[in-house]
Amino acid sequence: MPSSKHNTSETLELKRAVVMLNFKVLGLVLGFLLGMIIFLATNWLLIKGAEPGPDGQTIIGPNLALLGEFLIGYTVSFTGSIIGFLYGFGIGTITGAALGIIYNALVNRKPRLSDTNKPG
Amino acid sequence: MELEINTQEDKTPTADSEDRKVVIIGAGPAGLTAASELSKAGIESVVLEKDSVVGGISRTVDYKSYLFDIGGHRFFTKVKVVEDMWHEYMQDDFLLRGRISRIFYNRKFFNYPLKISNVVSSLGLINSGLVVLSYIWIRLFPRREEKNFEDFVTNMFGSRLYNTFFKTYTEKVWGIPCTEISAEWAAQRIKGLSLASAVKNALLGNTSTNKQSVIKTLIESFHYPRKGPGMMWEKVMAVVTQNGSDVRLNTDVVKLHQKDGKIVALDLAGSDGRLETIEGSDFISTMPVRELIQKLDPPPPQQITDAANQLKYRDFLTVALIIEREHLFDDNWIYIHDSEVKVGRIQNFKNWSPEMVPDSKMTCLGLEYFCFEGDGLWSMSDEELIALGTKEMEVLGFVKADEIIDGTVVKMPKAYPVYDDNYATALKEIRTYLESELGNLQLVGRNGMHRYNNQDHSMLTAMLAVDNIRGGNNNLWDVNDDQEYHEELTEQDAERQKLVGQLQSTQPLVPQRLNAEAARSSSEIATGTFGRLDKLSLALACGILAGLYMLIFTFALIALDVSEFGLKVELLGQYFHGYMLSYRGAFVGMLYGFFWGFIFGWLIAYLRNMLLAIFWRRALVDAQRVNVKRLLDLI
Repeated sequence: MPSSKHNTSETLELKRAVVMLNFKVLGLVLGFLLGMIIFLATNWLLIKGAEPGPDGQTIIGPNLALLGEFLIGYTVSFTGSIIGFLYGFGIGTITGAALGIIYNALVNRKPRLSDTNKPG
Repeated sequence: MELEINTQEDKTPTADSEDRKVVIIGAGPAGLTAASELSKAGIESVVLEKDSVVGGISRTVDYKSYLFDIGGHRFFTKVKVVEDMWHEYMQDDFLLRGRISRIFYNRKFFNYPLKISNVVSSLGLINSGLVVLSYIWIRLFPRREEKNFEDFVTNMFGSRLYNTFFKTYTEKVWGIPCTEISAEWAAQRIKGLSLASAVKNALLGNTSTNKQSVIKTLIESFHYPRKGPGMMWEKVMAVVTQNGSDVRLNTDVVKLHQKDGKIVALDLAGSDGRLETIEGSDFISTMPVRELIQKLDPPPPQQITDAANQLKYRDFLTVALIIEREHLFDDNWIYIHDSEVKVGRIQNFKNWSPEMVPDSKMTCLGLEYFCFEGDGLWSMSDEELIALGTKEMEVLGFVKADEIIDGTVVKMPKAYPVYDDNYATALKEIRTYLESELGNLQLVGRNGMHRYNNQDHSMLTAMLAVDNIRGGNNNLWDVNDDQEYHEELTEQDAERQKLVGQLQSTQPLVPQRLNAEAARSSSEIATGTFGRLDKLSLALACGILAGLYMLIFTFALIALDVSEFGLKVELLGQYFHGYMLSYRGAFVGMLYGFFWGFIFGWLIAYLRNMLLAIFWRRALVDAQRVNVKRLLDLI
């Protein structure tokens, strides 16, 4: 195949191009992903059933239940999985959107910084 | 899509059109297309043809009722207006023919485009093994500098395959060693496809209807007039003559008089030596650019004449042999790669159209020789050339000498404009001069523009030239221009360029700019989707977020006093040395969060960019392979 030195200007343009993140989409995707993780993890524990704890009592998902300390209303139950989904969705959306906004701001900032460094 | 050139059947002459008289030099596809378009617009035209027949290189030669074509002209185009014109004139005389063409090398046939299984079976196991080894070798140790065609194709296929299938034929066609043909020349011919379309093909799959149709159009089938391409142009001549235009054969233009920034008249010489002067309001020239400049009166500045003298042409001759045999081979044409013979291509005209031979028990082959006017081949007499052709047919093992009952020779000077190192600069200089000095002269067609393209390109330039005469504003050179790109296009211009861009994949040599508008939007989509992620920015963004989360999280744990959870979280200290549930620990956690977030973001961006680069590199290579398969057609 033709070597790189025969690259078209289009290829060079593509090499130079920096992609911007769509913060809304990124937020929604991360939100949905995190929400689903909590939802599925909770329901997986419910399907798996209770396990005997160190004191002999049976508890469902003792570790995941600790999330309830932060996410008020969350428990390892089906209702809790829906509440957890909503929390996960909210946190994921904020995180994804924040990531996109910060990234885009930094990318946009870069040329300006380099512009100011140009002589004259 | 339809090209919106004024091709309507409006024959009502306007006041302006009645004052106009267009003189067209040359009755090839471009000249006669212009005459046809003008005739439809009710504008008077005179077509001047040096030869005794119309069609230029697209003529059909009639020798004792054996018809043959100069070079083999497939009628295929992506431009609707051109296709419409063909059908308008040919109607039921237009045949749809399947394409079969193979390579003949070392007494064996190879499918074209090359197929691995066929190459292996025809070359034999040992030779095929050597081909594979040379390919592996060149992939491992490519030639670092691709200075010439040989370097370029060798790097692509390996030296063994290059020597077998590309070297001899290319040198036969162009008459110069492959080491003297620039690598860019080959790269441009193979390039053809844009990255955007390559990526699109890769994403949507190569089995799309579009690709199928392109392959079908370009490779598998084509239209062909029942009695050869000349039939089309004879019909056009008949119609335009009937409509009042004048087509003068055996009329040579000996001088073009220029005055006040215009061509005002032409001096003509008939075959009987009679001289005549003809005036006109607009002039369309299809004569070779070099000749045109030499015939200007008063002559242009010396530098323009010098530039014109730098334009070179490759000439071409066909030895037609009539063979007493019903069937020789199924191919329309065969590429001859053996170096022991001079013939470059063999046409079997009967396979183009059964009506090309008067007796179905006979076969007429056209042996094509590429040469320079005045060289050894060109200077040979017809008898010598027929003897040479007969001998070569025997050497190749196609026929025995006693089966050849007759033959004739047609010499076609200036068949191909040569693209050497100087042509682009010289042509630009000439163009600039003509555009600024001679406003009423338009150059169209292959030799008229010194552009080696198919007849659809020639026809389209002629249509646009007529459109200009009728008030349009088309830059004919943009039909196929690599060098210039006009940013500011009107919607109509953009649409026109888009259509014109469709010619690209159907032209034998000159790659041309894709439609500006479409290319730009595809390019934007490609860069918006396949551009790189900025590693540092993503690393910083992830780092900042992770750091902030650690800080807020730890503060929240301290504030909410969630002891059990807090104890578990403190286990992070096993990894993040110094982290604990305290305000100081929160800041230590923030630094750790930033560090690991930074690393994570950087790696994500790096991996994503790397995978995407591999993806679009492969997509581009796949797309280029389509054109690589057609390399011989592009040569």
